[in-house]
Formats: sequence, structure tokens, C-alpha cells
Amino acid sequence: MSYSLYFHIPFCTHRCAYCDFNTYAGQEDSIPAYVDALCKEIEFVGQSSHAERSGSTVEAHTLFFGGGTPSLLSPKRFEKILRTIRDHFDLIEDVEITVEANPGTVSFDDLKTLHSLGINRISFGVQSANPEELRMLERIHDFFDVIDAVEWARKAGFDNLNLDLIYGLPEQTLTSWRATVQRILDLHPEHISAYALTLEHGTPFGRWSARGLLPIPDPDLAADMYEWASEAFDAAGYGQYEISNWARVKDESRKLKDKSAAGSSSFIFYPSSFECRHNLQYWRGLPYLGFGAGAHGYANNYRYSNTLRIKTYIERMNEYRKSNIEFPLSPATVNQHHQSVGDDMSEYMMTGLRLTREGIAAPAFRRRFGRELSEVYSREINDLIQLGLLEWHEEACEGYESSQALRLTRRGRLLGNQVFIRFVE
Amino acid sequence: MTSHIRNFCIIAHVDHGKSTLADRLLHLTGTVPDRDTTEQILDSMDLEREKGVTIKASAVRMNYTAKGGEAYELNLIDTPGHVDFGYEVSRALKACEGAVLVVDATQGIEAQTLANLYQALDADLAIIPVINKIDLPSARPDEVAEDIASLLGVKADEVIRISAKDGLNVDQVLESIVRRVPPPKDDSASRLRALIFDSHYDSYKGVIAYIRVFEGSIKPTDTLHTFATRADMKPVEIGIFAPDMKPVQNLTAGEVGYIATGLKTVHDCRVGDTITLASAPAPDPLPGYRHPKPMVFAGIYPVEADDYPELRESLDKLQLNDASLTFDPETSQALGFGFRAGFLGLFHMEIVQERIEREYLLDVLFTAPSVEYEVLMINDEIITVDSPAELPDDESKIAEIREPWMTIEIITPTEYYGPIMDLVTKRRGIYKSQEYPAPHRVQLDFEIPLSEIIVDFFDELKSRTKGYASLDYQFLEYRPDELQKLEILVNGEPVDALAAIVHKKDAYHKGQRMITKLKEIIPRQLFDVAIQASAGGRVISRANVKATRKDVLAKCYGGDITRKKKLLEKQKRGKKRLKMVGNVEIPQEAFMAVLKLEEE
Ligand SMILES: Nc1nc2c(ncn2[C@@H]2O[C@H](COP(=O)(O)OP(=O)(O)OP(=O)(O)O)[C@@H](O)[C@H]2O)c(=O)[nH]1
Ligand code: SF4
Ligand SMILES: [Mg+2]
Repeated sequence: MSYSLYFHIPFCTHRCAYCDFNTYAGQEDSIPAYVDALCKEIEFVGQSSHAERSGSTVEAHTLFFGGGTPSLLSPKRFEKILRTIRDHFDLIEDVEITVEANPGTVSFDDLKTLHSLGINRISFGVQSANPEELRMLERIHDFFDVIDAVEWARKAGFDNLNLDLIYGLPEQTLTSWRATVQRILDLHPEHISAYALTLEHGTPFGRWSARGLLPIPDPDLAADMYEWASEAFDAAGYGQYEISNWARVKDESRKLKDKSAAGSSSFIFYPSSFECRHNLQYWRGLPYLGFGAGAHGYANNYRYSNTLRIKTYIERMNEYRKSNIEFPLSPATVNQHHQSVGDDMSEYMMTGLRLTREGIAAPAFRRRFGRELSEVYSREINDLIQLGLLEWHEEACEGYESSQALRLTRRGRLLGNQVFIRFVE
Repeated sequence: MTSHIRNFCIIAHVDHGKSTLADRLLHLTGTVPDRDTTEQILDSMDLEREKGVTIKASAVRMNYTAKGGEAYELNLIDTPGHVDFGYEVSRALKACEGAVLVVDATQGIEAQTLANLYQALDADLAIIPVINKIDLPSARPDEVAEDIASLLGVKADEVIRISAKDGLNVDQVLESIVRRVPPPKDDSASRLRALIFDSHYDSYKGVIAYIRVFEGSIKPTDTLHTFATRADMKPVEIGIFAPDMKPVQNLTAGEVGYIATGLKTVHDCRVGDTITLASAPAPDPLPGYRHPKPMVFAGIYPVEADDYPELRESLDKLQLNDASLTFDPETSQALGFGFRAGFLGLFHMEIVQERIEREYLLDVLFTAPSVEYEVLMINDEIITVDSPAELPDDESKIAEIREPWMTIEIITPTEYYGPIMDLVTKRRGIYKSQEYPAPHRVQLDFEIPLSEIIVDFFDELKSRTKGYASLDYQFLEYRPDELQKLEILVNGEPVDALAAIVHKKDAYHKGQRMITKLKEIIPRQLFDVAIQASAGGRVISRANVKATRKDVLAKCYGGDITRKKKLLEKQKRGKKRLKMVGNVEIPQEAFMAVLKLEEE
């Protein structure tokens, strides 16, 4: 089974007003020690995986550097981290390596070096093309930075770029959102993510809106924005594959298929588009390892996460004594949950149904749990079909007989929670 | 020998300081050591403590050596001030020969000051007027003394001015009690007659009856008999409150104490009933027993259907202490299995709700309160309806609907005359008369349907008079009026728990208010929800709650499935608390919405 590896880089020069991610502003001094600690964790988990798997190395098909702002790390540090990863894990030839970048923090030279290190996908946090909106979000970049960053990335050789957007901002209009979408399409990214703003507790946005200083985004308007954008992306040749994600079809359709696909539960579906393989791993309920402060992982029947604070993370990785920490946990792990079949099943539903195109294939469910999807959840599925939120979809899939997949209807995409809650406790 | 016994109670309007004065008396007589700094000692329930309100009467015996050197036995009965508990006050008064009437120096005479005073005068009690809270800067003791003097026909300087809080002049109150309250009649040779003036339930000793012995005497070995409930019992023990329960060998005429009855429910031992000896019963009970009748009714439902048995148990237990609480099983298509409960008034209802929630840790839903209607059918049958949904739908079969009317007395500074008239007439009240019990104070007497005052009348009265007006009321009679059922339909289905009985001229207005309110409260669902108000077979108001379009969590950050799942689980729990009407989810608060109609 091929894994995905996630690396968390919890540094930002300034915290955006809506952001509740695990990231810290003004702690850039800790970057060197943090990178060292991160490498130790990679080494630690790499070794425990060997022990667990009687000597065989974990194979990884995607790496993802998320944040925070990973682009704050110098190329030299990326080089060090990547070297450590390659020392302890088997990266497949076609590995997807993504780095999240803030358009205000990149340079052509750095991008070039990153590309030469094997990094092949950049995800830019654009959020909006409207200067007012960017200011309100307290982003450190403007749209000119985005234009430069994309151009430099292209020149540096990147042929797989994602641009992140946020809609449903306070005071955002349909007109300003359309303009943002249009300007994003003009940049021809391979992949687009569009997330609805959520007002998180503990963020400036959360506080302002609790005090009535920030108009709460109108949910109907946000729905209009989403629907309008979906159509615009579709018309521009992007295919939606997840509630918030769209990808272009690859030009020279290089369809790869895992040889062992048919019979095994660990098939990797190499998409013929620029769908983000790393994110697909999450949604499909496949294993991933999380490294760094606050990183989450899911493997070997565990869901687990690491300590949030940078300092604690560094301490833990420097001071642990070898003990019998089970793979995939590390000395930095502070939460671990041993998954029951019930947990797995309900999470499989809740994440799998986010995949708007493939949904949950009945055979895949059967292979994984040894039971029939339509039986285990017959009542939930029937109710939700009745409500017009779910549908059975017939997919003729190469290498398979045509199979039934359960997925969200068009309407269901915006009402995902109403669907997902039926599958949790 | 009763010449050295004094039985008295403390009466006053709510919050004028009865319980605080009782504290001082307990300290001064050494009944409770001074260093015990608990406030409102006699308010033993948590809820009483927290609200600072006496809910149950209580009795305590004090030994006091007067200035002249003689020792007295003083029995103090502290009473609740709230109008809902007026019956308990009337019973307590019956157990005494004197009453200390406390008036707050900052508030002056208020409605229950008068109501309780008249009751005390009716019971022939010696009245000791006291002005309290003179330590406060806003106190107007001279003015209040004048008012009391003209009310009671005494001299203003005879009114004792105290601060119950600081203890100032409280010794004078004790001396007055000894001098001015007559000793009880010594009638220990007659057959036993003892009045039950209150009770509470003790899990070891059963129902504890608080009694005043009028004639004869009781020994722990006697077999006792109750007149109204006709129960025989061997007491577990008899005793006095000092202030905790303390067994004694004998209680004789004139004394106040308790009987631990061993009875399992307060129904067998009702407040107001008379106790006599089974072997040598008195021919008649003491006069004036009546069973307090609930006036206000509401549905009580568990928020989680599984809690139904616990809810029943908690109501059973509450009833052990509170004979005026009634309940019967009821089923609502919207709310499931629950109870229809009867209360003395809205305040009583609030207290019951809080006790269920706090003492039994249950999440409960109370529906909007209703009064009890009498419905005369055309076939001359009379049915009583305490739940609006039960009113027969076919109006042609109904000859007449009658509702309870009350007399109310409102006491207010004269400048609020206008706003009060306006409030009462808006609610179908009829002006009867007015009096001026004191300078600058007017007492307005009205008749008004009870249904018009159970919902936010009191709050409205307070807000229109900056808190100065006070209110007392009594049941008057049943009267017919143009009443009809106002029904609320959700997606075409009538919701029983939202039905109301209203006057025909108010139906339109109330229906519209209700719909506006519900439109705010009912969350958007996966489909459009139509809400309608209908009365007399006609839809009088409607609104649409549009289907929700967007409800989805954004990003799953860095594979953090756990957080996402927790959020979904929380959302699901919230959903479970909603009540299903057909396939529409309605939040709890909707069922109380009718209570808020007059706002804004
Ligand atoms: N300043 C001042 N406050 C007082 C005095 N007497 C009572 N209070 C306060 O007045 C409030 C009401 O006192 P209580 O003794 O609970 O009144 P109550 O008459 O027993 O009230 P109910 O039992 O609710 O009818 C409390 O906050 C007391 O602390 C006093 O002499 N001076
Ligand atoms: S750049 Fe991203 S991670 Fe950093 S503060 Fe802004 S939104 Fe948060
Ligand atoms: Mg009190």
C-alpha cells in the first residue's frame, strides 16, 4: 500500500484575520531547530516503520508541505528535509510533491531551486483578486504578487499549479467574486480550490462578527457564488472532483494504472487530470503519515496528531528516550485514537462522499469492509436519496466491470453536512 | 400553661426582608449562634437561597428572656411573600396569634403587604408593624410610617423602625411580640385539634407535618387521624424546630411543632387539614380547609425521550413536598410522551421547572401555559379543557366557552394610573373601583381573565411603572366569552403543542405575531416549510421558511478528519434536540414563543 506523507510548516510572517490553522507569526527564529526536529521525526517514524514491517520500507506516492507558509523555508532546508525523506521512505518514480506557498514570499530563484529538488506542484494561497478583500483578510500579498508568482513558477518549470480561493467573504458581492474567478482563470492554473469562509472561534474574524462588527456572510449569496463558480470552472475545462476542488484534464493524458489494481484494496488511481493525489488519499480513507507540529496522520489503525506548539515539538523530538512507540506514532504524538471498524466506516462515508465525481464505489466499500454499502446504510442512503442529496451513479471504469457508486447530487454538494451527519454518531 | 408562649408569623410583600428579620431574631435569641453567618437561615432549599425568595413556610422555636426577666417560648413562622403562595400564608396565619408586618422603607406599602395584612386581620391577629431597611440611603421611614399609621389606625411613632440587615432595633421587635401578641388559649383539656399549616417530605421519617395544636395534646404514642384525608397514623416522632428537628414527648394546646407521620405522600397529609386522636376524635375539624386548586397548566416533556421515566419520578418526588402540584400523563404528536401539570401560578411553574432541572438534572421542555376552560357543548355536556389542543375543532358543537376570571388589585404610585389602565383594558380587564390606602398611592381594582395575566402581565406591569406597581389577585368566577382555538400548522399539519385559545378579536393579531416569531425560530430545512396560523377554519397568517442551500464544512486541513467529525457529531447532537413535527425540525424555544408575543 502506498502512503502519503504530510509535513507541517507552522510559520507565517503575519496571521491572516480568518485563520485558525496551527501556525505562528514571529517565530521564524525557530525555523532551523524546527527543521532539525522534523528530520528527526522523519527518521524516527521511518525506522519504526521498518521494524513494524519486518525490514521493508514504506512506499510513498505523494508528499505535501503544508502550513503555515512552507515557502518561508529556504531551498536548502527543503533539500535537507527531502534528503531525509528519501533516506527513510521509498518514493515512487512519479511521486507528487506539493509545496504550499504564499505569493508574497516567493522568488524566481527559489522556485527554480525547488523545482530542481523534485518538487513538482505548487499551491498558492491567492484567496481573492480584490484588493479590498485581501486587505480585510489581512493577507500579506496583493494580486500583482500572484501574477508574478505564477509567471515565475511557470518559468521555473512547474506544470502543476493550484490556486486557492475563498468565497462568501463579508461584504463580498457576486460581481467581485466573478471578477476574482475570471482573473484566476486567466492565469490558467491546473487546479483550483474554492473554500467557503467559515468564521472560526478565536480568530479576529470570529471576534469581530461576534461583536457585530463584521457582517456575517449571507449563506444564500455564498451558495450563488459557489454555483456560479462551478459553472465557470466547468466551462473553462476544469472538472470538479471534490466539494471544493477542480482540476484540468491533462493534455497528454498519461493514464497510468497500478498493475495490482484489480484485486487489491490498495489500488492507486492515477488520475488523468491534475487532481491532487495527496488530497485524494485523505478522502479515499487511505493511509498518510503526518510530520511536524500539529500534523495529523492515519495509518496502522491509528488516527493521531502531534503536539501543536513549535517549542514543545522541538523539545519532544530532541529529548525523547527510545521507547516502544508503535508505528506510526512518534515522540511528538499527543493524540492517538485506535480506530474501530465503526470509526473507519463512518469516516469512510464522511470523507468519501466529498468526492463529487467518484463518490463511494460499492465494490471498494465491499473490498474494504466485507459488507454491502447498500445494506449497512440502507436507511440513511434511502432517506438521503429521497431528499435529493445522494444518487447512485453508474461508472464504467477501465479494468473494472461497470460499478455503482454513491455520490452527492449537485444540490447535495452544498449541503454536505446534512449528508455526512447521517453517517456519524 | 400557655401564658409564656407567643406564636407569630412574619408577613410582608416579596423581598421586604422577612427572612432576614427572622435571621436576626434567631441570632438575638441564641437559637442559632451569631457566628453562623448563613443568610436567610430558614430558606433551606438551594433554590430559595439562590433566588433569595422564600418558597415554603417554615417554623422555628426560640427561647427568649424578656427585659422583665421572664422566659418565653416564641414560635416564629416565616412565610413566602409571592402571590402564588398566598394559600400557604393564609394557613400559617391561622397557626398564630400575632403577625409582624414588615414594610420596606424604600418601597412602602405594596400589594402583598395589603393582601397579607387583610388576611391577618381576618384571622384576628395582633399586628406589629415594622419598617425595615432604614439603613438604606433611599429609605423614606417617615413617609412609610405615616402610610402604615393611616392604614392601621395607629400612631406613626409606634411603628418600629429597624434594619434587619444590621440588627438595628430588632430587640424592640422581640419585646413588642412579648407584650402585644396575646398568648394562645389554654385548651389542653379538650379533644385534640391540630392544624397542619405546612409539610415537607423526609426520606427517613416520611411526611413531616408542621402543626399548631389548638386544643388537647399529642404524645408520640398516640394514634392520629386526619379529617379531610381520613388517614390514621402512628407518628414516627413528634417534636419542635429548634431550628433543626428535635423530638419532644408532648405537644400541647398553644404550641407549634411537627409530627413525623411516616406517611409516604403529602396527599395523605394536606396543608390546612386538621389532626385529631383516632381513639377520641374531636367532633369537627378546624374551619377553613380548602385544597389549593391549580390555576395554570402546561405540558412538561423530556428533551430526550429516554428521560420520561426519570421525569415521572422527579414529579412524584416534587409532589411529596408540594401538594399543589398536579400532573397527569399527556401525549403530544409533536413532543411525544410527557405530562400535563397544574400550578398555582406562573411563578410556581417556574420554580417547578427549575427544581426539575437542578435537583434532578433533567432537560425538560415546558409548553406555553394555559388556564382551564369550561366548554359547554350544545348537548349540554360540559367538558374542561386545560390544553388548547383539546378544544373540540367543530365550533358548531360548542355552545359556549367559559374561562376563569380573577379580581386583581394593583397598588401603585398615583402617577402610573394611566399606563396601568391602558395595560389592563388592552387585556380585556374591567375597571371596578379605586381606593387610596395611603397618600400618593392608589389601589386599582379590576376584573380580568386569568389567561390575560399568566403571560408576561407582571413583567409588563413592572416595566410600565418602573417597578413600583405590585399586584395581588384571587379567583372570581367562570365567565363565557368569544373564544376560539388558534392553531399553528407546519407544512399543513397542526402542531398540538403550539395551539392556543384566544379571544376572537385577538386571533388575527396573535396569529400574525406567532407566525413572525416562528419564522425567526424555525431553522431552514432541506425543503421549504410553510407555517400558517388558522382560527375558525380560516388561515389568518402564513409564512415560508425557505429551504437551506448551503451547509457544508470547508477545508479539511492537513488531513484533520477528527476535528471535522467532531463538528459533525456536534451538529448531529444539536439536531437530535430538535422536535420533529412530521418531517420538520422545530427547536424547543418555538414552544415557548407564544410567551414572547408582546415583546418588541
Ligand atoms: N439594606 C438592607 N437590606 C435588607 C434588609 N433586610 C433585608 N434586606 C435585603 O433585602 C433582600 C430581601 O430580603 P429577604 O429577607 O429575603 O426578603 P423576604 O421578605 O424574605 O423575601 P421573600 O421570601 O421572597 O418574600 C435581601 O437581599 C436582603 O439582604 C435591611 O434591613 N437593610
Ligand atoms: S498564510 Fe495561511 S496559514 Fe498563514 S496565517 Fe494566513 S491563512 Fe493562516
Ligand atoms: Mg423570605
